[in-house]
Amino acid sequence: MDKITSSKIQELAYECKVEEAMTKDVVTVAPSDTMVDVWMKLRDKRISGLPVVSEGNIIGIISVEDFIKCIIFGKKEEQVKDNLTAHVEFIYSDEQLIHVIKKFEKYRFGRFPVKDRDTKKLIGIITKGDVIRCLLKRFEKEYLEEEAQKNKMCNIFKDIRSDKTTVILKYNIKGKEFKKAGEKSSFLKSALLRMGIATEIIRRIVIASMETEMNIIIFTDGGEITVFVEEDKIKVNAVDNGPGIPDIEKAMEPGYSTAPDWVREMGFGAGMGLPNIKNYTDEMKINSRVGEGTNLEFIVNI
Amino acid sequence: MRLLEIVNKLNLTVLSGSDLLDREVIGGYVSDMLSDVLANSKKGNIWITLQTHVNIISVASIKELSGIIIVNGRKPDDDSLKKAEDEKIIVMCTDERAFQIVGKLYELGIGKNDENV
Amino acid sequence: MNIHKVKQILNAVVICGEELLDMDVKMGCGCDLMSHVLAHIEHKSTLLLTGLTTPQVIYTSDAVDIKAVCFVRGKRPDDDVVKLANERGIVLLSTQLPLFESCGKLYKEGLMGISEHNG
Repeated sequence: MDKITSSKIQELAYECKVEEAMTKDVVTVAPSDTMVDVWMKLRDKRISGLPVVSEGNIIGIISVEDFIKCIIFGKKEEQVKDNLTAHVEFIYSDEQLIHVIKKFEKYRFGRFPVKDRDTKKLIGIITKGDVIRCLLKRFEKEYLEEEAQKNKMCNIFKDIRSDKTTVILKYNIKGKEFKKAGEKSSFLKSALLRMGIATEIIRRIVIASMETEMNIIIFTDGGEITVFVEEDKIKVNAVDNGPGIPDIEKAMEPGYSTAPDWVREMGFGAGMGLPNIKNYTDEMKINSRVGEGTNLEFIVNI
Repeated sequence: MRLLEIVNKLNLTVLSGSDLLDREVIGGYVSDMLSDVLANSKKGNIWITLQTHVNIISVASIKELSGIIIVNGRKPDDDSLKKAEDEKIIVMCTDERAFQIVGKLYELGIGKNDENV
Repeated sequence: MNIHKVKQILNAVVICGEELLDMDVKMGCGCDLMSHVLAHIEHKSTLLLTGLTTPQVIYTSDAVDIKAVCFVRGKRPDDDVVKLANERGIVLLSTQLPLFESCGKLYKEGLMGISEHNG
């Protein structure tokens, strides 16, 4: 176990209370029961010791060893009250687990009865196994919470105070690298999620950026997508040095495409790219020069 | 089942080959990838696709498909339709999505008898 | 309809996301054009049926919050693609049936198409 883990567990031993770890459903015997009754209970419940209880008050404890002694001395028909260990170490339910651990070290008993501090009645029993289970459970829970915290969306525009906050994300897109096409938009999606942007806004931005990314990969040797996230809008700017779009009006018509067949077979290039971008954004501008490249800008208002 | 019956039952718009609707439909094929249709469709199949590119006409012609249903309200351009008339390919369209058009064809019994296509 | 049922109707195998099969799908979409998927999937509980097995299927599904994809005609994606799906909590199935029969059978069992749901 590394140092951080062990100190964390120690910390939890101080935080956890006995009542969290104890077994509430306690199997007990009465003082008037016989040692044979004890044996049957120990065997059926697969445990090695039982509290002896009279009217809710614990008066002793009886264990496998006590039973073995009775057999050796031929006293197995005798009553529990004559064979129990009367001096009982117990613990209160509101104590910290660390106290139980120290008690286990001190007394070497297998279990301690748990009493309620006010009523002094028996309300549970605790073994080493219970302690370990409880600590591990808490440890796991805290670990998961910590992980969740790490991934938790922070609402950047509420957390950061300024007169104007703009978060700029830059994605370099390699041309013709179809295998990775869509990856950058996928990164953008998780980035926006973590910034606490509403999912419907993210969806529109990501759909438009995915089409943009495809266009850059299909038609050019590469380009750059820059995303400006502000409190009231997200603006995306895509620049490439590709062949340019000769007829933008035509390119905006649904179904119009100059994509090669291999692109169509990949499920893109069916002439829906630019129309999709237009449909999902609030503003869209294209500047393109044949032989020089294209500059596409779109905005989704928040 | 003949195409005419399908056109009527599914309320399809016929864009080309309206004089050829007595053609028999044997099974169906849905795909938007032309190479897939080239490789896997069978003669007499009715083809359901979103694609409107002129190449769909060539594919339907090569594979002797009974017709093409273009879904989702998409329409091919005039060049494609002219080519369809020339090659005697029936092109139909509908506003519905592929999923339910296929569902309805399936309910009419198209494609049920040759599940191991 | 939950994904267990889809799996049973299509006699499909689960490629990844075995633990997510209790999830409900309300609509089906049979499509190989990812631009179309981007443009038209409005509902999160959509099952995408496709013959494409590229990484773009996963990126696209993720963009529109599709949580289950079934590959038809016995197609199976590469391990990289499965990894992408796993990371995004997307269930992947594979059926031997062609897309036509897959859509037909699911429709018959009550899965809706997209426009029906909206209308």
